[in-house]
Amino acid sequence: MSFNELILSIMDRLDGQRTVSAPFHVLKGKKSGQTIQDIGYFGLHPFFGVISDLQKGTYDEAVTQLCEAGLIEQADGPIKLTEKGRNRKKVPVRLDGWTFQGRERLFFARLSLAVQTFSHVRAGNPVFDPAQTRTDIQFWVKDYLRKMNFSAPESYAAFRSQLTESLMLADCPDRSKTILVDRLSGIGIGGLTWRQISAEYGISEMDAKIEATAALHAWLAVLREEGFPMLIPFLEGVLRHSPLTDSTKRTLRLYKEGLSVDEIAAVRKLKRSTIEDHFVELAMNDPAFDFTSFMSREAYERVNDISKSSGSKKLRDIKEQLPELSYFQIRLALSAGGEQP
Amino acid sequence: MSLEQLLEKTYGFDSFRPGQKEVITAVMDGRNVLALLPTGMGKSMCYQLPGHMLPGSVLIVSPLLSLMLDQVSQLKKMGEKSVVALNSFLKPEEKEAVLRKAGDYKFIFVSPEMLAQPFVISRLKRIRISLLVADEAHCISQWGFDFRPDYLRISEVMAELGSPQVLALTATATKKVQQDILHYLSLEEPNIYVHPMDRRNIAYDVKRFDTREGKLEWLKDFTAHYAGRGIVYAGTRKKAEELSAVLRQNGVRAVFYHGGMEQLDRVFIQQQFQNGETDWVCSTSAFGMGVHVPDIRHVIHFQIPTSIEEFVQEVGRAGRDGQPSLSTLLVSPGDEALMNALLADELPTRFEAEAVLNSGGDRALVSDGVVRETSFRVLKYWLSRMPLDKTMQRMENLLQEKMNRAARMSGFPASDGCLRSYIAETFDQEITDRPSNCCVNCGLDYSMYPVRKEGEQHSGSGGWQERLGRILP
Ligand SMILES: Nc1ncnc2c1ncn2[C@@H]1O[C@H](COP(=O)(O)OP(=O)(O)OP(=O)(O)O)[C@@H](O)[C@H]1O
Ligand SMILES: [Mg+2]
Ligand SMILES: [Zn+2]
Repeated sequence: MSFNELILSIMDRLDGQRTVSAPFHVLKGKKSGQTIQDIGYFGLHPFFGVISDLQKGTYDEAVTQLCEAGLIEQADGPIKLTEKGRNRKKVPVRLDGWTFQGRERLFFARLSLAVQTFSHVRAGNPVFDPAQTRTDIQFWVKDYLRKMNFSAPESYAAFRSQLTESLMLADCPDRSKTILVDRLSGIGIGGLTWRQISAEYGISEMDAKIEATAALHAWLAVLREEGFPMLIPFLEGVLRHSPLTDSTKRTLRLYKEGLSVDEIAAVRKLKRSTIEDHFVELAMNDPAFDFTSFMSREAYERVNDISKSSGSKKLRDIKEQLPELSYFQIRLALSAGGEQP
Repeated sequence: MSLEQLLEKTYGFDSFRPGQKEVITAVMDGRNVLALLPTGMGKSMCYQLPGHMLPGSVLIVSPLLSLMLDQVSQLKKMGEKSVVALNSFLKPEEKEAVLRKAGDYKFIFVSPEMLAQPFVISRLKRIRISLLVADEAHCISQWGFDFRPDYLRISEVMAELGSPQVLALTATATKKVQQDILHYLSLEEPNIYVHPMDRRNIAYDVKRFDTREGKLEWLKDFTAHYAGRGIVYAGTRKKAEELSAVLRQNGVRAVFYHGGMEQLDRVFIQQQFQNGETDWVCSTSAFGMGVHVPDIRHVIHFQIPTSIEEFVQEVGRAGRDGQPSLSTLLVSPGDEALMNALLADELPTRFEAEAVLNSGGDRALVSDGVVRETSFRVLKYWLSRMPLDKTMQRMENLLQEKMNRAARMSGFPASDGCLRSYIAETFDQEITDRPSNCCVNCGLDYSMYPVRKEGEQHSGSGGWQERLGRILP
């Protein structure tokens, strides 16, 4: 999936409901209430934070291109897909940004250093310049290799076959896997730069990076499900148990101690609206979130009914029909009723 | 045990390189030493071996983070386990952990900024430092081509560290710079060891063209005819990219390298060059450090550098295996103007100075793009020591000095005398015995340099399993 297709996929889900800049924040993984809440409303989990270093200029350029290609109506203001945009051939989304939130890079950094080490050790040449200069990565890999008894030929064989087998199972195009493996290095074989990869396959550097990320997400999904004992340790700290932000976790703790929204706001010296954002995030992430202390079950159902029948998630539209509910309650109801990550 | 035996036993080298033994002996005699050894001749050994004989730790101050990381990994590669680097990359708890057991390490690398932290100093005070090494010591001199004000911190903390014995190392220092080093490190009764800095196996060539296109045509022909490996110093990032593209189109294996690339991409280029997967690297001056390829045959300067010192450092990357190597400088009209414009442009402006002054030296100025990195470094240092006007006066002097050095560089291609002697004279040295393959003015024998063999194009992509199979056979 190319960068432009990626943006268009997000826009498709936000059509008419958000402005053209919203996908930018989603791709960057902005941890603001609005963005986090949109993730839940619109089912944008695959896209969250997949290009955390995205530049606004790069994004704007792509939007202009989409406009010129007649896929969207306008390059600013509300998102409006054209007929052509809506009827385009859709590419499957193989990303899982919300689950990994950029930590797939940690996985790959460790893995690539381990691959480089195995490659050199097997050739009887254990001294080399590590491709990863971060000391925390180096320590982690050293520790891993020791535990795995890495100099034993059986360990090498197991590592190698599990690597190949698991990547084979990953649900993504072969080219994306090739791009990923191009970023690995071993004895006598240097990794390829993004520019070299882009020239090799005739795609932009950005597209190449997105493909690599998608391949990583697909691969990680395999490693999570199937038991590949040599590779499971690499998932440490990559699969987060709770996808909540730290601040939300703190709010949750206080809530469980029995504090009200206003009390939590006072204790934490934060605005009430911020605490409300935390609850929206909670509702979105926890299928068992109990909203009944904030509103009746009946109110919850009415919000979601209206949203479904009108096809709109715009708060103002819903508020017009349910003036007795606060915006906070409406948001909470939508999040609790939205697609679960 | 003799020094030779220790060298053999510890590092497996059977003899010293010229100068090493003299410097090591002086260090072991307890003298403060300033050593000038040619590029790539093994300066590090001058503190590595004493490290194994002296009772306490060796503290090495290194000017650049990337240089430091590279030195540490080189030392580890040589089997040295007791090495640690203190730099801004460490998290506070890691730093604390390292410092707590600092005395357990034989070699402690530290960046100059770290020396400014009272906490670091207080910890270092507790351990026994037998030798303080100022690597690339020319950085301490404002007259050096690569002045790093942070380096002056060494002199500020030396007394606090109990005035340990000092070893200052550099490959490129004029008399004036040497004086500065001695002064700032307050080296009393120093032992100054100056090794002839000439690299005999490197010959010097200059090619003149009427236009910049002429340079490009020549480069295409040259790289098509001669075998690598080689470095082409392009001057700017954009030019580096352009040149590599042109060479590739011409069927030559070439890549580019510059500081604007992400870290891992830079590592990959170094790997490719080291492995011989590419023959030419077109780059800015960022390429070189951390590249341990002994058989670089050619260093080509597509754009004239701004000083002889810089030129010597870059050329010095060639021929570390002792085999014949060639430096080629390409010049065309307009180069000099470009160089001068570049220099004037580099200079901190009054606007920047005022910004630094008003903010009290807030680093955000750099990240916000108000003040450039190098300007910030220099301005912050001087403004904390003298008023604005004096500082600006200093900047004027600095520009003048830079212009003088640039003029000395411009004189190189213009000279019709021996180019080897021209370089030596810059450092107040003399060439007594010219090699037979000396320079374009004394006569050059191009048959010394291997020509390119045809074939060996890259194998093409056979898919991910094929590549993975090559990495992990
Ligand atoms: N006595 C020796 N015999 C053989 N090799 C040596 C000897 N001493 C040092 N070397 C090797 O020479 C290489 C260059 O050493 P080093 O990096 O210390 O050089 P340098 O003078 O600091 O270079 P630069 O000018 O780039 O800073 C290293 O790979 C080192 O292992
Ligand atoms: Mg050195
Ligand atoms: Zn000569």
